[in-house]
Amino acid sequence: MSSQKKKNFQIEAFKHRVVVDPKYAEKTWKILEHAIHEIYNHNASGLSFEELYRNAYNMVLHKFGEKLYTGLVSTMTSHLKEIALSIEASQGALFLEELERKWTEHNKALQMIRDILMYMDRTFIPSTHKTPVHELGLNLWRDNIVHTIKIQTRLRDRLLELVQRERSGEVIDRGLMRNVIKMLMDLGPSVYQEDFEKPFLRLSADFYRGESQLFIESCDCGDYLKKAEKRLNEEIERVSHYLDAKSEVKITNVVEKEMIESQMTRLVHMENSGLVNMLMNDKYDDLGRMYNLFRRVPNGLSLIRDVMTSHIRETGKQLVTDPERLKDPVDFVQRLLDEKDKNDKIIHLAFNNDKMFQNALNSSFEHFINLNVRSPEFISLFVDDKLRKGLKGVSEEDVETVLDKVMMLFRYLQEKDVFEKYYKQHLAKRLLSNKSVSEDAERSLILKLKTECGYQFTSKLEGMFTDIKTSDDTMQGFYAAMGHELGDSPSLAVHVLTTGSWPTQLTTTCNLPPEILTVCDKFKTYYLGTHNGRRLTWQTNMGSADIKATFNKGQKHELNVSTYQMCVLMLFNNGDGLSYTEIEQATEIPTLELKRCLQSLACVKGKNVLRKEPMGKDIGEDDTFFFNDKFASKFYKVKIGTVVAQKESEPEKLETRQRVEEDRKPQIEAAIVRIMKARRVLDHNNIVAEVTKQLQSRFLPNPVVIKKRIESLIEREFLERDKDDRKLYRYLA
Amino acid sequence: MMKKDECVKLISAEGFEFIVDINAAMVSQTIRNMLTSPGGFAETEHREVRFPEISTTILEKICQYFYWSLQYASGKETEFHIEPELTLELMMAANYLHT
Repeated sequence: MSSQKKKNFQIEAFKHRVVVDPKYAEKTWKILEHAIHEIYNHNASGLSFEELYRNAYNMVLHKFGEKLYTGLVSTMTSHLKEIALSIEASQGALFLEELERKWTEHNKALQMIRDILMYMDRTFIPSTHKTPVHELGLNLWRDNIVHTIKIQTRLRDRLLELVQRERSGEVIDRGLMRNVIKMLMDLGPSVYQEDFEKPFLRLSADFYRGESQLFIESCDCGDYLKKAEKRLNEEIERVSHYLDAKSEVKITNVVEKEMIESQMTRLVHMENSGLVNMLMNDKYDDLGRMYNLFRRVPNGLSLIRDVMTSHIRETGKQLVTDPERLKDPVDFVQRLLDEKDKNDKIIHLAFNNDKMFQNALNSSFEHFINLNVRSPEFISLFVDDKLRKGLKGVSEEDVETVLDKVMMLFRYLQEKDVFEKYYKQHLAKRLLSNKSVSEDAERSLILKLKTECGYQFTSKLEGMFTDIKTSDDTMQGFYAAMGHELGDSPSLAVHVLTTGSWPTQLTTTCNLPPEILTVCDKFKTYYLGTHNGRRLTWQTNMGSADIKATFNKGQKHELNVSTYQMCVLMLFNNGDGLSYTEIEQATEIPTLELKRCLQSLACVKGKNVLRKEPMGKDIGEDDTFFFNDKFASKFYKVKIGTVVAQKESEPEKLETRQRVEEDRKPQIEAAIVRIMKARRVLDHNNIVAEVTKQLQSRFLPNPVVIKKRIESLIEREFLERDKDDRKLYRYLA
Repeated sequence: MMKKDECVKLISAEGFEFIVDINAAMVSQTIRNMLTSPGGFAETEHREVRFPEISTTILEKICQYFYWSLQYASGKETEFHIEPELTLELMMAANYLHT
């Protein structure tokens, strides 16, 4: 066995000094104590870190950690007590500076001490659950300096004083503030909160309470809001510069509560400068400011919304019930659009397109537009005006814009079926007199209505367009086939209208002059030859004619007149001085229409191709009419037609309304049957609710009418009443 | 990334001077604290540290350890060999130096 060179594994005794000296601990401690003193007196440069570290290390190693720790505590405490005295002694403004300086020094010393005593921190302290050195240093500082009565009060007062000075416009030392506040934060969140934050918030609340009182008495709404905003921004800036970020929310809450929340009702309702005034005068800046400030407090925005809503409703109600406005439907609708635009702009510019406000606006408009039952008619008249002449020469985009706006008003209507009726009437007149400015615009609007309301709404309207086109083709065919036969007959242009698509008209009696009758009959023969099984009826109340007339001095004029007017005028070819009765007998035109017709021929200045005796505006049954030789006009072509869409007269209005009610009955019945077929059994209230829901996109059904329809259906054995419960209905297959 | 190539002098009980790179020395937390502590301790001023209680052999081994530690940290996984008779003193020193 080779003897390996085995190194002797010897555990030698500690090379370190063995503790023989009982006073070893005391001696070592003294060295460290001395070092701490030196550190506090800024004399550390001579010391050797290693030596101190080793001493501390040894103390801990030899189980004198307790002594070391206790010694540390008492040494630091006595130093701190001295420091406290020096801080207390400083005067006035120097107080904070002294505090800050001493704090900085203390931190530095603390770090040095901790570094030397690192070993104790690492090993002794965790095992004995004592406070680590750094934290210990902070706690001692807190207990011996910041929380001594004199310093604590003075510190707090001084800090708050500086804040107040800054609030009144003075410039203060922000760096100093920041460091002192940071000291409080370092000492623990509770220190910061108890010693500074709570008193700060209390003081601020008092201050702002006072400010708000002062301002509200002396400023108008706009100014007050500006001031409040300024203060709010100030506080936010203050926090960012020298306070704990967590305080931002707390102080802004204080400002919001004292300056905004407590005064908001008063501000909004301030006379001559409050919310209503701002809305009326488009004060976008002020409104935007109010929005931004009020959204910070609970119920702030709902307050604005409520006041705005009632204002819009009030304004709108005045608009729709003002008798002056109602005289001009086009102007009426234009004003509604203007009002909507104005409010849209406010919401867009000042209220950040907030949905809550848009909804409030929509509901207000819906409310007051439906206060006036003529709104559907007026909107249709507005469209009519635009499509006749308003949109002439307007670019395609602008046309779309106008139509979209119309659609927007349409959506607000509760009685959409009334609109449909009027729209059909007006469209018919436009198509027949060929007065539409742009077919593209017409079609575009119909498309929008279709998208909004579905196919059924517009199918008939589209039928009307088709009829016009077909009629053009038919006329071409007619002249191609029969042209040679017609010779000198008056030229004819016929629109063949499918009955279901066009607004129902009562056919009236009217005797056409013989020349016209001939060519009309020829057309009828031609048409019925190519279309079997159809029946044609002349609608004399919807036609128009161009007549050439020669007057006294030989001037010729071309007159554009309605069919009725043409019939009357043609009579004068065969005689002059015809009485009312004679005319009536010859033409067989109904009274109301005849009177209107004669009025437009004899009583309107510039268009009086007939002369009436006796003179006057009204047509009496004893009047006599003469051909007016002296008629003169600047223009060659004179228009005397009366086929223009107009605001309805009272009787016409009633008639239309009646028709609408009649049309509604089958719709209600269809809805009831649909519902009952699905549900089989249902009670009265639920039927009413369901029917209303189904029909609400067209109109709002009257519960009384619904009840009547149910009873009618029961009579016709579509439904039956339950034998036991009178309120329950059953579907009969 | 590294500081300027500064050096620090480590002096053993017998007076041997080991000049090492500062980053190597800072592997020891104690030395790191020493050098970064505020206040002008003598060591920071002169950039030299005396260890009257650490022998030359041990201090030499410790310096080797510093460099090995840096290499290991940057990816080179080699072994660090410790002679058995040095173990105890090395451990004590390591404890002292918080390495």
